[in-house]
Amino acid sequence: MTATDLITADKQSPQADALDWVIRAVGLSLHIDDRAILHDLTFDITAGSYVALLGANGAGKSTLLHVLATLTVPTAGELMLFGKRVGRGNPAIRANIGMIGHQPMLYRDLTALENLVFFGKLYNVKNPIDRAEELLNQVALSHRADDPACTFSRGMVQRLAIARALMHDPKLLLADEPFSGLDMASGRMLENMLAELHAQGKTIVLVNHDIEQSLAITQRAIVLRQGRIVVNAPTRELDLETVIQEIGIS
Amino acid sequence: MMLLLRQIILLTGKDLRIEARSRQTLGLVIVLGILIIVVLGLGLGPEQLTNGASATAALWVAYLFAGVLVFEKTMSVERHDGALASLLLAPIDRSVIYVAKLISNLILMLILALVITPVAVVLFGFDLSAAPWQFVMIMAMSILGFAAVGTLFAAVVSSTRLQGGLLAIVVLPLALPLVIASTQMMIQLFRDGKPIGGTGLTVLLAADVLYLVTSWLVFELILEP
Repeated sequence: MTATDLITADKQSPQADALDWVIRAVGLSLHIDDRAILHDLTFDITAGSYVALLGANGAGKSTLLHVLATLTVPTAGELMLFGKRVGRGNPAIRANIGMIGHQPMLYRDLTALENLVFFGKLYNVKNPIDRAEELLNQVALSHRADDPACTFSRGMVQRLAIARALMHDPKLLLADEPFSGLDMASGRMLENMLAELHAQGKTIVLVNHDIEQSLAITQRAIVLRQGRIVVNAPTRELDLETVIQEIGIS
Repeated sequence: MMLLLRQIILLTGKDLRIEARSRQTLGLVIVLGILIIVVLGLGLGPEQLTNGASATAALWVAYLFAGVLVFEKTMSVERHDGALASLLLAPIDRSVIYVAKLISNLILMLILALVITPVAVVLFGFDLSAAPWQFVMIMAMSILGFAAVGTLFAAVVSSTRLQGGLLAIVVLPLALPLVIASTQMMIQLFRDGKPIGGTGLTVLLAADVLYLVTSWLVFELILEP
């Protein structure tokens, strides 16, 4: 099956419109100066799906994730999240999004617990201290709850960042290379957490450089190449070789 | 309204907690402020040391340079580890971030003023007893306008690679109307014994309103993660 077949097959899927979608992008483009970072992207992501966003360095994965998180405004096209058109503002839409980024997005001088409670309060989480303690327990950081984030190792910071992203129990989780910096045990823990969130009906968009792992744990893969979608298909229909070929890795 | 207020208190509390824990900003700006007052006092010579206008000018120089450092430092907290992106992702209005940051800056500036003003008063033999509350009022209004515009441009400058002295270059010219108006009023008040008012007060009020409203409106447009 060629890449064109994979995209076309998906677009013509009779179920696509019948399902509830969380993300709908139509002709999404982003130009910075004269350079096209994202080019005419059209795709839907249905509620409860687990999607891998794959591509080589500079393909536009992180930028697309920023656009989906409403942090970057596209220069053309339309983005709808949870049935609402994304523009400036939209606090109600953002309340449903959690993001694990390249950077931990934490305050290094606050303790792990203070960081989580702060973000919990910002999202109006009921009982933010209880929720923070629960998450610290899940990411195995309970014993360091009262230590400032600046004293944490890279892996621990990453685990705390994951807890921060989940603090408000978001319906949509955007994860940009969440496995980076994690040791094998922590990586497995995160894999299980993501699987559990998926089982709970959350929508997950995962950017990951480990293609094999992505194909194994997600349901659908969107492959970007130079800012364009070259594959958008269920992962069960894809094999590693095809994806590597489409990504353009020699 | 209550929600906005709660969010502002939450963000300001976070800034002050970080400052209380790291003591990165206050320690530095207080030392800088005192040094500026002392160096200017020594540089101007003994005949200027009983001159109220010199004391006001020295205080302004200290407020301006220490203030720029305050604005830069409080915004850099948001740039470390991409923390600003987490605020932009949160379901809060961006103007809340501006107001909270402005209040944090004003509180730090107030602490700075409480420390360095007595130093200037003692060193310059500046007799404030004629109109202490008017002095406080003029300085408070001036610092409000300065912090309003400083908070905005600290956010602009922090997202560029041109940090360091750029904030001072941008903000200091904008502070000129505040400096001129407040200095004129200080001279009227302490040298001529006239009550504050007239053009100086109008300029100060107009600059405060203009800087506050413009910065509040523009802030959400320039904020980049």
